[in-house]
Amino acid sequence: MAQAPAPAPPAAGGLALVIERTLGSRAALATRERLSWLLVNALPIVAFAAIVVVGWLTTDGFATWANVKAILAAVAFVGIIAIGTTVIMLSGNLFSLSLGVTAAVTAIFFMYALAWGLFAAIVLTVGLGLLIVALQGAMVGAWGANPIIVTIGAGGLQTGVALWVTGGESILPRGSSDAYQALARPLGGVPVGIYFFFGVAVAVELMLRRTRFGREIYLLGENRAAARAAALSVTRITTAAFALAGLCTGLAGVLIGAASANGSLLLEGQYTYDAIAAALVGGNAVTGGRGSVSRTVVGAILIATISDLLLLRGYSTGIQLLVKGLIVFVVVVLMNLERGRSR
Amino acid sequence: MNALQRRLPAAVRPHATFIGVMPYLTLLVGILVLVLLPVFSSYEVTSFNVYDILQNFGVLGLVTLALGLTMIAGEFDLSVASMYSLGGMIAVKTGAAEPAVGFLVALSVGAFVGLVQGGVVSKLRINSMPVTLGGFLTLLGISHVISNSKSVAFSNYDIGATLDAPIAEIFSWRSIIALGVFALAAFAMSFTRLGRDVRAVGGDRRAARTAGVPVDRILIGVFVVAGVVAALPGVLIDYSLSAATPDIGGVDALIFAATAALLGGVGLSGGIGSPVGIAAGILSLSILQELLVILASPDYVSDLITGGLLLFVTMTVAPELGQWWRTVGLGGGFRRPIPVAEPAAGPAPGD
Repeated sequence: MAQAPAPAPPAAGGLALVIERTLGSRAALATRERLSWLLVNALPIVAFAAIVVVGWLTTDGFATWANVKAILAAVAFVGIIAIGTTVIMLSGNLFSLSLGVTAAVTAIFFMYALAWGLFAAIVLTVGLGLLIVALQGAMVGAWGANPIIVTIGAGGLQTGVALWVTGGESILPRGSSDAYQALARPLGGVPVGIYFFFGVAVAVELMLRRTRFGREIYLLGENRAAARAAALSVTRITTAAFALAGLCTGLAGVLIGAASANGSLLLEGQYTYDAIAAALVGGNAVTGGRGSVSRTVVGAILIATISDLLLLRGYSTGIQLLVKGLIVFVVVVLMNLERGRSR
Repeated sequence: MNALQRRLPAAVRPHATFIGVMPYLTLLVGILVLVLLPVFSSYEVTSFNVYDILQNFGVLGLVTLALGLTMIAGEFDLSVASMYSLGGMIAVKTGAAEPAVGFLVALSVGAFVGLVQGGVVSKLRINSMPVTLGGFLTLLGISHVISNSKSVAFSNYDIGATLDAPIAEIFSWRSIIALGVFALAAFAMSFTRLGRDVRAVGGDRRAARTAGVPVDRILIGVFVVAGVVAALPGVLIDYSLSAATPDIGGVDALIFAATAALLGGVGLSGGIGSPVGIAAGILSLSILQELLVILASPDYVSDLITGGLLLFVTMTVAPELGQWWRTVGLGGGFRRPIPVAEPAAGPAPGD
């Protein structure tokens, strides 16, 4: 392995290994830096452009305003949950494997809560999402429990409770008012959810960059031991990061419930995996400490567009899972190649 | 004193003892409940219930063993849950004329998947959870694609009847095959150098590498074995049912396997656990599910209990639980003993 004479470059591309061997280390260094920059920052956008072009040329109905609106609606749902996933990922706790269940459970609760009026229903639903996921975060933070297993277990528990309460039936909105439908109608030509999505994205991004709490999340994700040594409370930060993810998921639950005008566990769909795929494909490091919400925004748009294109071409569950699985696998490997050699 | 205890300071040893005996304790409680249930209530427990428990052992037990082996090696293979459904699907698709062919094809695919994932995890040193999440989704996707998300019928009914026919009332070929695989795994893990190497790789990878353990080869090997052992129960159940559906795997199988493995005393940090413990964990969980069947509980009860149990065991094996316990001042048995009570010098007795 050729060593840089100066301080090591911030990142080194594994792809550039071959170039390095052929061109020698100095030339390779520049190429490597450029390659890894491309890999992380430009690849999602290039991929998005490619998909749009392919969709436009090959698929009827892809390049229509109606379809763009459908994609935007999906971006809102997947994206808001993906922002939650991103915060968990940045804090060094990998990801939750049950945010989709929580979104469905909160959507069910939203239907019940509408009996107390729209505003109360939104606040209570978001609060419920926050509580459910924050509890998992507390387990992870305080006891060092494994986040994946905790979230799988919590998902099973939520499914059980939801089946118990609903009897496995689809829940219709309670209460006489149908004011909630305002959340499902387009506003200014685009789905209302998209405003929430960008609102949440800006708020969480600012929080991550500008507040002490945000920096603490990055530090915890980058180096848990250092965070501990700096006398930061791992429990508090982890719980808060999960709580934020729960807040996002609860909000997604409200929007998903309002859009489908009923609540059932079927609403879970593939949101959990879509959100993880979106956070990863945007270029956030799965092991934490590196990434941003803006990357996730790009990732969410990419994943929602891919899902939409597959759906338009008549590919069902199977191909959707297959494609997302491959995306997760390939992105994790590529990101690791890119990071691995800088260490 | 078990392996975990030796590695931990005296203050947290009671915790480690608890984890060490947990599998056998829960199994004992399960068996007691099963035996005593007819005595104290009007519910009947027959040899068929025992047969049923062992049948379950023959399916989800092997999925758990696959997951458990990767956990002992310090990794976590989420993809076993969907390799299970894909294995059965492939066997049913390719084994219509000759079941043995389907069996071999399915197991080879399992080995191949293990090779790819194990190769990536070991050579690139990536955390296995995100890698195998990709594998989990991809394999689940493939089994949906090749079945078109529908149930696929298997025309060879004889093989299913043979696999399921009761032997000595409580066994069947299915459960005997599973028990054989467990016996083999238990032997390899306890009495061969390979077993020690796997444990070493899981316990302290750097030390293992320094000591000359071929870490990468061991890791790849474990993933390959996990792929094969996860594909096997898929073949068994789908031959039994004469049909394959893509839905048998997925998150539910994952919840069962994770719960059973942790109940079975497999540590999440690697190096801890044994196939015998895993077997005890699976039997406990299978007994619990059989009890729910006997008591005719609604479906959601099973979800609630498995989900809750998984959270509970995750909590009990969480690495910082003891520390947290002391910080919040509820010390009890976990509190560090007063220094005077400790021997002045030298290793603690039993070290």
